[in-house]
Amino acid sequence: MGIFRRIFTGRFYVENTGFFLVLFYFLFGIVNASNLLYYHMGLMIGFLSSWSFLILVLALWLLYNLRITGFVIKTLEQPQYSFLYSTMTCMDDQERRGRWLRLQFQMYLPVFVYGLIAAVVGIFRHYYLAATIILVFNIVMCIWPIRFYEKKLWQPDVFFFMTRFSRWLDRHFVKPPVLYFYYELFTAFPRKIFTTKLWSAGVLWLTFFLMHQSDFLDLRALQLGMIACVLLHTQLMIHHRAFEEIYLPFMSNLPISTLRSYSRVIGFYVLLLVPEIIIIFFQSNGRFSTTAIGTAAITGMTMLLLFRVLLYFPRMNAEVHLRWILVIAFVVLFMILGGAVWYAVAGMQLVSALIFFKQFREYEPWIDIE
Amino acid sequence: MSDPVISLQQVRKHYQDVPVLDIPQLELNAGIYWLKGENGAGKTTCMKVMAGLLPFQGDITINNTVNARQHPVQFRRLINYAEAEPLYPAFLTGRDLLQLYFRTKGGPQEPILELAERMGVDNFVNNPVSSYSSGMLKKLSLLLAFAGNPAIILLDEPLITIDTRTLAILYDVIRTWSQSGASFLITSHQPLDTNELTVAGTLTIANRNITLN
Repeated sequence: MGIFRRIFTGRFYVENTGFFLVLFYFLFGIVNASNLLYYHMGLMIGFLSSWSFLILVLALWLLYNLRITGFVIKTLEQPQYSFLYSTMTCMDDQERRGRWLRLQFQMYLPVFVYGLIAAVVGIFRHYYLAATIILVFNIVMCIWPIRFYEKKLWQPDVFFFMTRFSRWLDRHFVKPPVLYFYYELFTAFPRKIFTTKLWSAGVLWLTFFLMHQSDFLDLRALQLGMIACVLLHTQLMIHHRAFEEIYLPFMSNLPISTLRSYSRVIGFYVLLLVPEIIIIFFQSNGRFSTTAIGTAAITGMTMLLLFRVLLYFPRMNAEVHLRWILVIAFVVLFMILGGAVWYAVAGMQLVSALIFFKQFREYEPWIDIE
Repeated sequence: MSDPVISLQQVRKHYQDVPVLDIPQLELNAGIYWLKGENGAGKTTCMKVMAGLLPFQGDITINNTVNARQHPVQFRRLINYAEAEPLYPAFLTGRDLLQLYFRTKGGPQEPILELAERMGVDNFVNNPVSSYSSGMLKKLSLLLAFAGNPAIILLDEPLITIDTRTLAILYDVIRTWSQSGASFLITSHQPLDTNELTVAGTLTIANRNITLN
């Protein structure tokens, strides 16, 4: 049925055109045409002959597959495609699963073809085990998401990755307000939070790589990496504000003190940087003291808090916000380089508190009236 | 004459530069009030201002002592609000919301849990609100409006969306709570059933002002 192909496969390739263009450039554009075949043969033999390289390649293919799965689940959650529930559930089980399998295969096809060629090369070059792993892996990648799609189809209220576990949590655990936006991110926008965290981890890895290369393990360099991580997280803040404006106005009627509301904002941004602190702790491998790691952490968390609190000025749109963020980040960077990090932290904490306590009760979304 | 349960003094509300409310003075004694007005007259804005959901200019005081600006936490303990079209984060369950209201608003939990059972909310209270129909969501929102020890409860269009059985329960609960001392301000495009409720007064909102008839 063409309609399913247009809804899923067609839209997937259209929406990911940019991604495929970049991928195509890296696979076929950066190498001279006459060397292209040798380049790919070398690449394939590289991951066929090295287990660590093969794991990396399989992990990338898995990420691509998660992209597909996320896309399908997101499509099913959109109101304009709600008719899929009433139509697909009327189909014969075997026919519907076959349909899912074909759709999944069509979207996974680029990786499947590449993997198949690699497996054939592997067989000819006598890397039988690696070729078998690649074949089995790619077949599994085409089959396992079907289970997710089926579950989503029959239980539309169940969020991606949160099926039985989320039901158990709902029965045994009351969600504290500090975690509301995390729930929103992990249930409705998992790709956004995972991508941010992956980039952030990448920045920290690069920071440590450069410090090791130049044999320059200095707190200021680490702080620079932390500022870059903070900047990556700022994209979540506009979303955070919109979430609170749309879904949490009811909380304004609750007898919660401004101090407690402020603690909730602080708590959210402290928790947000915990993965980065863990990464820094393990990457530093004892070469940075706990005080140094703590200084970097407090600087990052304070910056996040100030950047979020700026959005309590109703007219602060994304563009103006970004300008303020960049200006503040530069000032903080120079204060760090000048050895005045604690003055920067104290100043930002003071400004954050002043803005919040002045603006919190007075804030309301800005609506442009023509 | 008894003290007003709620009084508004020089209450003004603007959306940017557009004035939407301008209430020089309004004092309501204990009782059940019907707030009526045309679409866009400002009924919901007025309720949101009273409930502390929207900033405003002027003064609102409950029981002559608790001022919205000077005692924001105490004020919110005394005034509850149920929206016409409630919206909550999709991942929250009815139980999450009930616990949040119990923790913040205080008051006895038993009457609310009993009411939840009467309204049938207990059947879906452990499910995320994303799975609720508009009627279920409305029931939950109305239930939450009775949490704590409110002096005044604002119900925005409570008569729509809910089924007839729940409507009868709602009238009964309003009567019971009213007898216990709570006041009500109810917006509705349909007149309140005078066989079910004794209305102390009708408020009309027009030209940004409210008048008590």
